[in-house]
Amino acid sequence: MRNAPLPLMLAILAAVFAFLYLPISVLVALSFNDGGLPTAWTGFSTRWYAELFSNADIIGAALNTLIVAVVSTILATLFGTLLAVGVEIRRRKGRFLETIIFAPMIIPDIVLAIALLSFFSLLGVTMGLHTIILAHVVFNLAFVCSVVRARLKTFDWSIVEASTDLGAPTLTTLRRVILPVLSPAIVAGALLAFTLSVDEFVIAFFTAGAGRASTTLPMQIFAMIRFGVTPEINALATIVMGISVLALTLSQRLNRGGLPGQ
Amino acid sequence: MTLLSLQNLQKDFGKMRAVDDVSLDIAGNEFFALLGASGSGKTTLLRMLAGFELPSAGRILLDGRDIAQIPPNKRPVNLMFQSYALFPHMSVAKNIAYGLEMEHLPRAEIRSRVGDILETIQLSALANRKPDQLSGGQRQRVALARALVKRPRLLLLDEPLGALDKKLRGDMQLELKRIQADFGITFIVVTHDQEEALVMADRIAILKDGALLQVGTPHDIYEHPTSRFAADFIGVMNFFPVHSDGTILRADDGTQIAAPIPPGLTGAAIAAIRPERLHLDGYASENALTARVTALAYHGLDLQLHVETPLSPRPVILRLTADQAESRAPRPGDTVTLGWSARDTRVFPA
Amino acid sequence: MRDRRPLYLMTPALGWLTAFMVVPCLLILGLAFFRRGLYGGIEYTLTWENIRLVFDPLYAGIFLKSAWIAGLSALIAVVLGYAAAYAIAAMPRRHQPLLLFFAVLPFWSNYLVRTYAWIVLLNREGLIVHLARLLGFEGELPSMLYTETAVVVGLVYNYLPFVILACYAPLSRLNPEVSEASRDLGAGGWTTFRRVVLPMTVPGIATGFTFVFVLSIGNFVTPALLGGGQFQMIGNLVYAQFLTANDWPFGAALSIFLIAIMMGLLTLQTFASEKASGGRNA
Repeated sequence: MRNAPLPLMLAILAAVFAFLYLPISVLVALSFNDGGLPTAWTGFSTRWYAELFSNADIIGAALNTLIVAVVSTILATLFGTLLAVGVEIRRRKGRFLETIIFAPMIIPDIVLAIALLSFFSLLGVTMGLHTIILAHVVFNLAFVCSVVRARLKTFDWSIVEASTDLGAPTLTTLRRVILPVLSPAIVAGALLAFTLSVDEFVIAFFTAGAGRASTTLPMQIFAMIRFGVTPEINALATIVMGISVLALTLSQRLNRGGLPGQ
Repeated sequence: MTLLSLQNLQKDFGKMRAVDDVSLDIAGNEFFALLGASGSGKTTLLRMLAGFELPSAGRILLDGRDIAQIPPNKRPVNLMFQSYALFPHMSVAKNIAYGLEMEHLPRAEIRSRVGDILETIQLSALANRKPDQLSGGQRQRVALARALVKRPRLLLLDEPLGALDKKLRGDMQLELKRIQADFGITFIVVTHDQEEALVMADRIAILKDGALLQVGTPHDIYEHPTSRFAADFIGVMNFFPVHSDGTILRADDGTQIAAPIPPGLTGAAIAAIRPERLHLDGYASENALTARVTALAYHGLDLQLHVETPLSPRPVILRLTADQAESRAPRPGDTVTLGWSARDTRVFPA
Repeated sequence: MRDRRPLYLMTPALGWLTAFMVVPCLLILGLAFFRRGLYGGIEYTLTWENIRLVFDPLYAGIFLKSAWIAGLSALIAVVLGYAAAYAIAAMPRRHQPLLLFFAVLPFWSNYLVRTYAWIVLLNREGLIVHLARLLGFEGELPSMLYTETAVVVGLVYNYLPFVILACYAPLSRLNPEVSEASRDLGAGGWTTFRRVVLPMTVPGIATGFTFVFVLSIGNFVTPALLGGGQFQMIGNLVYAQFLTANDWPFGAALSIFLIAIMMGLLTLQTFASEKASGGRNA
């Protein structure tokens, strides 16, 4: 690859980055366009942000999203971390176990969504924010688990044995030795889970039940897109993107190379 | 007779000069070693010969033709890579056939040449294995065969034995020499291992900071190093700081040392003597010195003696053969008399 | 003692996954073999009818259409993503992490937002039409939104970052000496790429392709937003069975086929990776 023609490589990079960034940059730019229309720039303004914050539906949806994301992240981080440690302590690797842990990350969201919808309705569970949270924990814990496991792969298990050798009971070892070493990965996993949960639409859409009370932000965005484009979406989109990008950047800083797929 | 001629070859990476004005002639059928520490420029020099780096200045003549600008795939020169660089997705036979396929040779010829060379390296039974199903030594032989099968004018080997364990390395040194003689191809080996260079090469070039320090046969290089660096780099050497007034050499404590002084060398200098040139019959020698034994190290065939002398802060090393050690084995704490002759002493500027 | 400890650490997560993933999925599996009730409920008599209906030309056609869209998107994404990954890997080592970070960044912004961006661009009054007018293009422009092309563009756009990531991994691990060896043995740049670099990086390509295909074929958001009403993919069909047509057993049967396709592809992908690595280290 040292011999790759540099001008061609730079051209490819420029083209791909333009393709990736032009559409979202247009959104960000439009969110500050006073007229709100893509066809004409009528001056810089933050009025769409102001309108956004006075829209009760959107504020409600944002609060719902925050509740779902925070609660499901806490549960998923707890369960996912314990799962990761448990799986890595076990010397024997079970194929079945690996499949179960891997499945939530690759199963098509629509399948999990309708499966949970059928499940909850057959059990007669009233659906709402709580069912969204139950559902989000499923894939979030898998992602947390995979980030933490990536860190555990390079974990020196002899320090656990050293702790045991020095007389610490298992739980003390977990609390005082394993968790401190893992904490950057755990925080990175939690941020990832939070981002995923904030952005998740399909599963929330199916498990939210009837009524506006449990509408999340992505559901609100979907509805807004479907029933007519208003310039407010650009502002909302910009904010949502900003939050995700911030969380991802933080997560990367904390845990270099720990994202799934890397 | 000259196959390869390097003329004032130079390579700069930004401000760093990796290869500095190297001129060198290598004869056909020669086994040549480029010896140097890491960062000495030996690998850069090799990569210029293979065509992966363009010289900043100078010429590379192969059979009288300047090949410096010819891309690597068009040169009658092949390189055996340090990592072997075998194609992991191809079998042993496919790896070896690859270079012949690039020459668009008839299939039958490719098959027979691959078969022959597999025979030579004794890997016929493993022809269909993938590289990661081979041992380190087997991979090394496949890499060699893959380059050799193209019958290049010149074969370059980058640390060919570096990845092998010590025992295997010894066997392969002789094996490489045999193959080189059988095929009648000029080999240029890059190595940081002076012992390897001494054993295998017809001639050795010592590189330091990108420049040639000394070129010669292993015997020349070992017995007549022309610089302190070369003396230190090859084999084990004892050094004493001395002072020269042009005719007489004195150690710091005033002891006079008999040695051939290079013409014009005055002031601070270094006297050097090989461990095997020192003996314990000091009274009969031109140079004699009382010393105290501090340690003994057993090396199988010989015994290394570490002694303390007033001449040098570092312990002096002395090599005794097993026989000598048998007849009179000194013990730590013993006082001995070292001796050596003037003609075995080398003197360099400090 | 040693074997019990990991078990209680894993219990909460495995319990959760069992209750809210395994059991619901098994439920779907069962549901597919029941009859649809008269008013949209479920009648508990066993039948093959739903499975048979999947193979009905009407629905099989939608399956094929979805597979075509997903395959095309995956193919384009792999070509673009591989080129980008190759270019990143050709840059100086110290710049690579940052380039990779920026290539992946859009992937972590909201999916709906990214899709919506294309509505803004492709819209009849959108930016692209507007630009074309500015450049002097007269007359009626063909509609770009609500077409198959729009759906493919949307899918490629959304999943490209992942493909770049997947292809970059094997490219960056490639020993540069291996492609140099190919050059040294007489191969030109293109031959080296085709016979050495490409085969050695097949696992990344397979991972990228599988990922885009699986996520695209079950997608209902992109067809719904960029394909408009005219356009149905399996995802939309499943959506409709559960939320409008109220034929849950048939929706369940469709989902089972989605999962089957996904598992088949994952198996193929594993196979491709193992073959490329020479059999030993996966």
